[in-house]
Amino acid sequence: MKIICFVKLVPDVENFKYDYERNVLVRENVHQILNPEDCSALSVALKLKQENIDVQVETLTMGPEGCRPHLEDLIKRGVDRSILISDKSYVGSDTYVTSRIISRYLEREAFDWIFSGTHSIDGGTAHVPSQVAECLNIPQMGNILRINQAGLFSDRVRTEVDSEDAVLQFEIERPAILSFQYSTKIKLPYIKYEDLERDVSGQLEIVSNSRLRFCDTETGIAGSPTKVSQVEVDSFGRKDTRFLKCDDEGIEEVYQFLKQRGIVCS
Amino acid sequence: MKKVLIYIDPQAVKDSIDLLEAAEQIYGAGESLSYGIVPGTPPADVFGVFDKLISVSPDRAEGFDAAYIADSIEKLHRDFQFDAVLIPATVFGRMIAPRAAMRLQTGLVADVTEIRHHDEEIVMVRPAFSGRMLAGIVNRGGAPVMMSVRQNIFSYAGPRTKKTEEINFNPEPFRKPGIRYISSQPKPQDEDIRESNVLVSGGDGVTRYFDQLNELAEVLNGSVSASRKVVDRGAAPRHIQVGQSGKIVNPSLYIALGISGSIQHVVGIKNAENIIAVNPDRQAPICSLSNIVVEADAREFIPRIIKRIRKGEYK
Amino acid sequence: MENDKLMKNISTILTDDQINTDPEELYDAAADRYKKYAKARKVLDVPVPLAIVYPKSTEEVARLLAFCNENQINVIPRSGKTATEGGLENWKEQTIVIDALHLDKIIKIDEYNMQATVQAGVALQTLEDELNKVGLTTGHSPQSKPVAKYGGLVATRSIGQFSTLYGGIEDMVAGLECVFPDGHVSRIKNVSRRAGGPDIRHIAIGNEGTLCYITEVTVKVYRYFPDNNKFYGYLTEDIETGLKVLREVMVNGYRPSVARVYSEEDARQHFFHFYKGKCVLLFMAEGNKGIVEATSRGIEEAVDKFNEGIIEEVPSELIENWFVNLNWSQQDIDDEFEGMIENDSHDGFTTEISADWETIPKIYHNAIERIRKEYNRVHDLTMLGGHSSHSYINGTNMYFVYNYSINCAPEDEMRVYHHPLQKIIVEETLKLGGSMCHHHGIGKFRNEWSKDEHGTAFYMLEKLKKAFDPNGIMNFGTIYYQEEGAKYQK
Repeated sequence: MKIICFVKLVPDVENFKYDYERNVLVRENVHQILNPEDCSALSVALKLKQENIDVQVETLTMGPEGCRPHLEDLIKRGVDRSILISDKSYVGSDTYVTSRIISRYLEREAFDWIFSGTHSIDGGTAHVPSQVAECLNIPQMGNILRINQAGLFSDRVRTEVDSEDAVLQFEIERPAILSFQYSTKIKLPYIKYEDLERDVSGQLEIVSNSRLRFCDTETGIAGSPTKVSQVEVDSFGRKDTRFLKCDDEGIEEVYQFLKQRGIVCS
Repeated sequence: MKKVLIYIDPQAVKDSIDLLEAAEQIYGAGESLSYGIVPGTPPADVFGVFDKLISVSPDRAEGFDAAYIADSIEKLHRDFQFDAVLIPATVFGRMIAPRAAMRLQTGLVADVTEIRHHDEEIVMVRPAFSGRMLAGIVNRGGAPVMMSVRQNIFSYAGPRTKKTEEINFNPEPFRKPGIRYISSQPKPQDEDIRESNVLVSGGDGVTRYFDQLNELAEVLNGSVSASRKVVDRGAAPRHIQVGQSGKIVNPSLYIALGISGSIQHVVGIKNAENIIAVNPDRQAPICSLSNIVVEADAREFIPRIIKRIRKGEYK
Repeated sequence: MENDKLMKNISTILTDDQINTDPEELYDAAADRYKKYAKARKVLDVPVPLAIVYPKSTEEVARLLAFCNENQINVIPRSGKTATEGGLENWKEQTIVIDALHLDKIIKIDEYNMQATVQAGVALQTLEDELNKVGLTTGHSPQSKPVAKYGGLVATRSIGQFSTLYGGIEDMVAGLECVFPDGHVSRIKNVSRRAGGPDIRHIAIGNEGTLCYITEVTVKVYRYFPDNNKFYGYLTEDIETGLKVLREVMVNGYRPSVARVYSEEDARQHFFHFYKGKCVLLFMAEGNKGIVEATSRGIEEAVDKFNEGIIEEVPSELIENWFVNLNWSQQDIDDEFEGMIENDSHDGFTTEISADWETIPKIYHNAIERIRKEYNRVHDLTMLGGHSSHSYINGTNMYFVYNYSINCAPEDEMRVYHHPLQKIIVEETLKLGGSMCHHHGIGKFRNEWSKDEHGTAFYMLEKLKKAFDPNGIMNFGTIYYQEEGAKYQK
């Protein structure tokens, strides 16, 4: 059985830097981490692999070549093969284009299941798993809390999904994309000391546009149907902090804030 | 007249109706015709607020099959040519919207919290990076404009006496469903503060009346957590401690009562989306991270906000 | 000697309640804060000591040492347990830890002659509190102040946050008493100054338990004027500007008690609520009113001279608030321990070096650049920066600070992360003639560079070891490199 895990590299919220002069996010020299929910999903896959010899786990990432060391680490943690889709012409792609790029790669791949996180901590749109599923015409389910692992070896798997105010059970047909929620109960395995220096470059494959063959107008900023037009950032804290007194007016404002954020119902 | 399609999530009917307000902010009051699409039997609340109503196949489990809803939206768009498609950012709305966008070959903006207008363009504003960044996004791809909308941001207060016209919708059979609904269970109470959506957290300033936090947590449907100092003093158990030496949490709201905000504590809440600090000292480090600072003693704040929330509920 | 017999012999020197063989305490005694993470995760690779013993007098220390010396038993002297460089780590199967727990008396506070005499096990905070009651201070305030004790402070050449005014512990020690492995007790008398041959205080100060056991110390004390304290803070464009201001203040002869500059990355850890992504420069002026006024003027003038690199002034109460909360308590230490179990992470590590004014910025940039270029786990670094916190007329220190996501097994953490990082910093420092160990001591994990640190003068250190500890029983592996211990280092 083959599981492909989507893994995104995201800037650590803590180390998030903004260049106020150029009005762009600083990406150079900024510490990147594996998106935590993707780690949870990959951890489930790797645990399955540890317990079943016939499970093959691959990761799929789209991003700059700078992701390499992180992906090599994943191989050292037990991933069989790591794919990095990387091409200068893909920089700036929105979720729609990203999903199309990833789907084109996957069209020619055999797999039983795709695992992913539900959200990423940077953009947090949760679009890509659903849109890839749409392109590939396969089912997808998000917010998965648990799966019945044995089901993965059959044609349908049972999942528990965290919905608004209930936990729902679904059966999903193979092949499908299973998008997990963050879990504190499972972690990636350590990299063993003797594996730290192991050359795993043979298991890492870079896929560029020379293989996927999009034309220039289809990808990147040019090909994206959405465009960022305004950005406001406060990476060191909030500039818009409101200072209130504990009087009727202050309490009312707090209440309205809670209402606005959907914390209390109106 | 602009045409706006709104997905009505059977699990969040009110949130779906509220999107009518978003539609008005996009095109102006009374400038658009609203179409509601709902899986299964339409709930009573939607009659009178939507101009048109389309119910789709009642035999496919209540909107859980995102592919099916996406196909329906595509088909309807072919028939009606919508200018905008709005979907509430509920758990399932967020699975339906991306699929539908892909079918309609249009850009999608997730989790919109504000609508702006700039040079004739509709700017959809959404938070990113745990609220540290706000991005205004435009759709360049042409119709329809598509977004999922954060719940409880917009609130519909328009007429509820419209004559809602039901549209008959009997499409050719779509794809075979790949998802089968089995059952539903109530959510267990969060035992781990890392899984709570709302945390009412107490620090040094509330050690002596830490119990009072429980009531506030209860009305907010959240959990109680604590800073290290409170745990050290034995006023709270260790497993609810937030911070570098405790747990790293990611609630959508963190209420810091009497917490000054040492770096060790702040590391634990770096992913909290909204922070309200209640602290008599406006220079306390936590204040720089907070959306709202109530300059007061927490003991004064707690009963007043509880009273206000309760009043709101029964109004 | 067999372990049983050894323990039996020890119990002829001490009573049962002075001998601790509780397995958990022995595990704790096997390592210090250097291997804090492995220790918290219960994967320490070093042997545990046979016992922790608590002598009640100098005579008992002398008898214990003489016994161990005769029988080739390794001894680790300890007091407050805040060592960070492996000084308290155990590398021998047969080791006795001599803890100064019961040497806990303040012997005398002499207000007229401005000195205080304490036993090795008196906590710095305890003496400070006593002195404060009579309007005096020790002038010594390392971050470990609430926990550290005098024996350890003197044995490791400790320094505190007010060093720019009061100096390091070596500037405070008037005299002391120490016991050598053969049981000989030396008393170095307390005088204001003398020319009586080499200053032998310095054989004991900083010996890190490798030559003798310090049992008693007399330190100078100072008038205490906490109400006069003034705080200054500034955001600066870069760390060089901060260093230039520090130098200006120092060479003009001013002695603020605190004078520091933090790199952006390090500033974030301490001043996230006001640093705005910039470097932070800060001062505290302390002492008599007139001195505080003059010092404040000196700080303002220096800041003014380099104002093109100063972005803005920070409200002084922010600096004061930070300062009040700076020290660790035992609770902080215990808590980090819990955090390491819970979260696969710790508060980070440091390497502190020193050099002259000209060289310090070069070392800083060379080391940072080399780490970024050469270190194979650079993608795991979550922070890398530093600060200068102890200045002198001829130079300053640099405290490199770093942290990382730990992606290896807990037992591999040091060799995968801290040690290779420290190696780069030490090499870059020694290359330009700086010192690799400003104030934490050499301990066990920098001993591979002891020879490079001292060059031809290492001869003197070697001779001292041969003369005072010919059987090599004192803190095996500390300061002096040992092939046998290499397996625990890398």
